[in-house]
Amino acid sequence: MALTIAAVVVITQIPTRLGLDLRGGSQLTIQVQPTAAIPSISERDMEVVQSVVEGRVNGLGVSEAVVQQLGNNQLLVQLPGVSDPEQAERVLGGTAQLEFRAQRAGTDQQLAIENQVLQGHLGEQAALQASLPEGASVEAETQVRIERLQSDIQASEAAIANLFEPSSLGGDQLTDAIAGTDSAGRWVVSIRFNNEGGNRFAELTKAIAGTGRAIGIFLDNRLLSAPQVNVQYAETGITGGGAEISGSFTAESANELAIQLRGGALPLPVEVVENRTVGPTLGRDSIQRSLYAGLVGLALVLVFMAVYYRLPGILADVALIIYALLTWAAFNLLGVTLTLPGIAGFILSIGMAVDANVLIFERTREELRSDKTLYRSVESGFFRAFSSILDGNVTTLISCLALFYFGAGLVKGFALTLGIGVLISMFTALTCTRTLMFLAISLPQFRRPSLFCPGLSSVRPNPVRP
Amino acid sequence: MKLNIIQQRRLWWAISGALVLASLVAMAISWQQFGAPLRPGLDFAGGTRLQLTRTCVTTDSCTEALDLSEVRQVLGQQGLDSSSLQVLGDDQQVLSVRTRTLDVDERTTLQSVLNEAIGPFDASSTQIDSVGPVIGKQLLVSGLLALLVSFAGIVIYLSLRFKLDYALLAILALAHDVIITAGVFAVLGLVLGVEVDSLFIVSLLTIVGFSVNDTVVIYDRVRENLKLSPGNHINDIVDSAVNQTLGRSINTSLTTILPLVAIFIFGGQTLKYFALALIVGFLAGSYSSIFVASSLLALWRERTGQAYSSDPEDVNPQPEAQS
Repeated sequence: MALTIAAVVVITQIPTRLGLDLRGGSQLTIQVQPTAAIPSISERDMEVVQSVVEGRVNGLGVSEAVVQQLGNNQLLVQLPGVSDPEQAERVLGGTAQLEFRAQRAGTDQQLAIENQVLQGHLGEQAALQASLPEGASVEAETQVRIERLQSDIQASEAAIANLFEPSSLGGDQLTDAIAGTDSAGRWVVSIRFNNEGGNRFAELTKAIAGTGRAIGIFLDNRLLSAPQVNVQYAETGITGGGAEISGSFTAESANELAIQLRGGALPLPVEVVENRTVGPTLGRDSIQRSLYAGLVGLALVLVFMAVYYRLPGILADVALIIYALLTWAAFNLLGVTLTLPGIAGFILSIGMAVDANVLIFERTREELRSDKTLYRSVESGFFRAFSSILDGNVTTLISCLALFYFGAGLVKGFALTLGIGVLISMFTALTCTRTLMFLAISLPQFRRPSLFCPGLSSVRPNPVRP
Repeated sequence: MKLNIIQQRRLWWAISGALVLASLVAMAISWQQFGAPLRPGLDFAGGTRLQLTRTCVTTDSCTEALDLSEVRQVLGQQGLDSSSLQVLGDDQQVLSVRTRTLDVDERTTLQSVLNEAIGPFDASSTQIDSVGPVIGKQLLVSGLLALLVSFAGIVIYLSLRFKLDYALLAILALAHDVIITAGVFAVLGLVLGVEVDSLFIVSLLTIVGFSVNDTVVIYDRVRENLKLSPGNHINDIVDSAVNQTLGRSINTSLTTILPLVAIFIFGGQTLKYFALALIVGFLAGSYSSIFVASSLLALWRERTGQAYSSDPEDVNPQPEAQS
């Protein structure tokens, strides 16, 4: 009982997470392509590519976007409610573009202002995204606001990029970037260039050292960092092919910058190899249809159980409703993302839950027919059905495990909901139904075998086994 | 109702054999046509599918039907002659185009020329599925691997809980169910152009899980009866085990298939054939559990000289069987 109430609380408090096929959005699989220079992709490379892709995804301004590693050379990107999947696909593909550019003379004030404007937009965007209900579809009005904000941000970024001169010092000349601490214990990012890059970097730094102009480090045309060059390098520039970027770094921000820089230095092209996009209206439509189908199916099952199994059937119906609530609550608690096949898995697990009850009741009937008392029949009905229930559920769980382990995307969702459902159904069949049954036979008005097995009265002995 | 499983076993085997044979023939024919036992869908073959809904659906003002010849003309101009077309939806205003794998630019161009020719389309009910050939292969391999691993897992589990011969016969019954389901879809692929995607592999795995459940319930009863009356002939034991569990077998199949029928009738496009595969598989599963797996067990025991159980494992209750 307490569990049921808790389940209802959970369902109302924690929203159900809906998959992209239900709420609308794009799911992209990105494959990292090995090149002649890098024939095999290491884990470190993947981390770096992931950070590049994450940077691009953030640039899209989609709330609750997810980037996950998939296997050893793929990334899965989920973009809920993305309004322009073509743009997303274009932005996410391609090799990272890292550039070190010199700030144009006399743009200090402009840079500060543009930066402030951009920060303002980004703050507003973060606040807006935080205020959105998680997992739900976005209203049209908010969608317009999000899109306007997004174009403002892009305009700001373009304006900032315009304040820097184009340059020929790019990611292909950067060999490494590592976060570390300097002698004073502050966090810094050390970068290293190859020979050619070292020379160009020296030229670049010589030109701007001491002028108050900054080096703009751009990844995919977005400013990552704009360090200034100390006046002592005005004579020769920073030579030797290496430099340290210092500033108000924390361990985290230094690491992030280092990974982004490495990402820019990695000439690994990425390609979008799978795109699954569902329009928001279409998703809503399929939720309604599946829910409708599920409810109709469930209602049919409940009616059948009550008609065929009488009193125990009605008790099982109660247990089934408790089961459905518990499972739903478990999905919300565990943060299971519900997809269309996931809903199918849920509906199927209801079938499994019914099966456990059917096994028990059939067994109880048999015991009743062989002239046992009601109490003993119910007792041994549960006891004897247990081994069948266990075996049946374990074999289903084996299939679920295999699906979950090898499957991808939608398949995983199905395996997860069916698996959770099967586990909970064993629990409810063996505890809820049992408690209800024993409660019922402890009440005298229910203690009539005919309520349990039609065609069998309490007076007429039935010696014939079928 | 009482079924004579053993007496009429030749009949049951003949039915199963005929169905399996027909399924294999259907798969062979479709192998000749598509180079695969079933018509491979987008997930496995790779390609791009665009599903576009006309705006007039949302305002309920559709007057003219979609003109497929016009669509074909547009596709021809784009060099996509070999694409397949389908018109969907209650009022036939949804266009589904399947082409080879297109990149973003090709796809955007196609979308905009289609929009001009037969649109306008409602952007918020557009569906795009684009699968590269690498991913297609990956999905197929992982799906088949999942199927094999769960077969192996089930054999191991059942031989631990029962004995190896039960496990192997149960797998035989499973293979029967999977082949028949695949056969039905091979026929559907040949006749109606129904394609199989990764959800079909999911449905096969679910069928495996459920149908082994059916078989296990009967075998569980056989094992129990062997303990209770070790002196009886295996044929009688199997017969009574099947009949004792018959009510359960029918009711469970019924209660599982009811929601599936609901999904098949009312559910969305994606789930329709998924539900159908499950319905076919569960029906085959119930049949094979009741008629085939049971009678094969009896035959096996008889042929190997175990018609009367003398095995102490069968006679003495195992501790875990009672837990």
